[in-house]
Amino acid sequence: MTTPLRRTVLYAALAAGAFVSVFPYLLVVLTAFKTRRQLSTTEPWLPGLPPSTANLAEILGGDFPRFLLNTVVMTALLTLGQLVFTTFAAYAFARLRFRGRDVLFWLYVATMMVPSAVTVIPLFLIMRELEAVNTWYGLLAPYILGTPYGIFLMRQFFKSLPGGLEEAARIDGAGPLTILFRILLPLCRPAIGTLAIITVISSWNSFLWPLIITSGDETKVVTVAISALKVGIGVDRGLMMAGGLIALAPMVAIFIFFQKYIVRSVVLTGLK
Amino acid sequence: MTGRRRLGDWYAYLFIGPSLLGVVAFLLLPVVIVFALSLFRWELLSAPVFVGLDNYTRLAGDGEAWHSLWVTILYVLLCIPLQTVLALALALMLDRRIKGVRILRSLFVIPWMATPIVMGLVWDWIFDPRDGALNRALDLVGVTGPDWLSDPAWALPAVALVNVWQHTGYTMLFFLAGLQGIPKELYDASSTDGATPAQRFWKITLPLLNPTMFFVTVTNLIGAFQAFDTIFVMTDGGPGGGTDVINFRIFGTAFREFDFGYASTLSMLLFAVILLVTLAQVRFFGRRTTYDLS
Repeated sequence: MTTPLRRTVLYAALAAGAFVSVFPYLLVVLTAFKTRRQLSTTEPWLPGLPPSTANLAEILGGDFPRFLLNTVVMTALLTLGQLVFTTFAAYAFARLRFRGRDVLFWLYVATMMVPSAVTVIPLFLIMRELEAVNTWYGLLAPYILGTPYGIFLMRQFFKSLPGGLEEAARIDGAGPLTILFRILLPLCRPAIGTLAIITVISSWNSFLWPLIITSGDETKVVTVAISALKVGIGVDRGLMMAGGLIALAPMVAIFIFFQKYIVRSVVLTGLK
Repeated sequence: MTGRRRLGDWYAYLFIGPSLLGVVAFLLLPVVIVFALSLFRWELLSAPVFVGLDNYTRLAGDGEAWHSLWVTILYVLLCIPLQTVLALALALMLDRRIKGVRILRSLFVIPWMATPIVMGLVWDWIFDPRDGALNRALDLVGVTGPDWLSDPAWALPAVALVNVWQHTGYTMLFFLAGLQGIPKELYDASSTDGATPAQRFWKITLPLLNPTMFFVTVTNLIGAFQAFDTIFVMTDGGPGGGTDVINFRIFGTAFREFDFGYASTLSMLLFAVILLVTLAQVRFFGRRTTYDLS
């Protein structure tokens, strides 16, 4: 069926596409290790020899490590909050019966339709009323209690588990908490892993909300710090790419080690 | 029995409590506030002044706002068809057992996790008229490339391309999952009936991918309508408003001009557009039947 010619064309197309996918990452690495002189004398896609760590040293010598730490703390707290609150809520919606369950669940589904761009202004004003602008509280509060989308995904997963799982434990007198922690959670590891990865990536990369709600160095995150590098006279590409390299490296590492969880995020939506 | 039931209820309310607080305080309340504020004039320093529908009248005559909406629609039209077709084509190419298929899939998905701010800066440099990789490469084949991000004709396609670059691979994953859900017997049966590959694609593959198509176009469209990060670092809305998408205008109106009332009105406009487009898709995809094979 597949002729050698068709096969060659197929591989050529795929290789070209893969190159375009990866090239910007390559450019970050190449540029981050170039001196200013190498930057102006070499083609962008060629390495500067010998490689120089001057850009990395310069950016790590400033306030950047502090902003990096802020991003790490923000990502860790948002992910922890999302996992805990989403798991509890999804469990209740999927496996417990209580009055108002269906109405509440439809309320959650409806709020999935609210675009984040629309809530940015009111959220800022709410935080201003609470005197939480430029505080950790303001940065974290809107997104730490779990998202409707995450709850929706986890609920789907909880519902896919067989119904008889809890019966035996319930007859033995186990409460909802025991059932959740002893029986259901061990089965949920793949779904929880996927939710964790998605949350880590979106928190780490978030920009608009941190840009609006923070202004001081105490709460400034990496994305906001990097965007500020472009402002001012004489853009230093080497320095920007060094900052970019530091911001991207953890995401690439996550991708390499937890790829199967990312693929599973597709399956979790229930579309097959 | 009722006592037990009550206890169960309390557990459930306790479990959903924190997330319910989040939904009410940070999703529902903001929607109410943004609607209410669209009826006020408020520059933050003085008290808000109720102005009725003045902001909406202003919007009706505000050429720049409609220009922004138009730019946003163009941006979406540049992104979504291209990235959907590319993702589907990639999925079809990668839905087979060929050598290196796993690595190829991974390479295509890797743009998805890139920090948009960082990639905005990287592409900003790729598009640099003098030293950028794109024009340098064009120089090699004797073509002088334009000043991409300062040229009104090219700036919007350029920033749209970054979005396509970032989302095509992840969208492909959904199509791959969809393709793997199509029963192989259907293809076997159609082969015995003498169907051509093109017929098989249009009559079997595409109709059965309907749910996937619905999901990816709805989510990608909602995302594209809210484009912000890459435009913020690449063009700042320029040149001459050429990339001034609506979300960028909302940001500028609120946080640069401190006109929170009018910015809320613009937010309502964006909300309405996204809702309408999503409802249109629900109707469009709902009418086309999918075959129930269960």
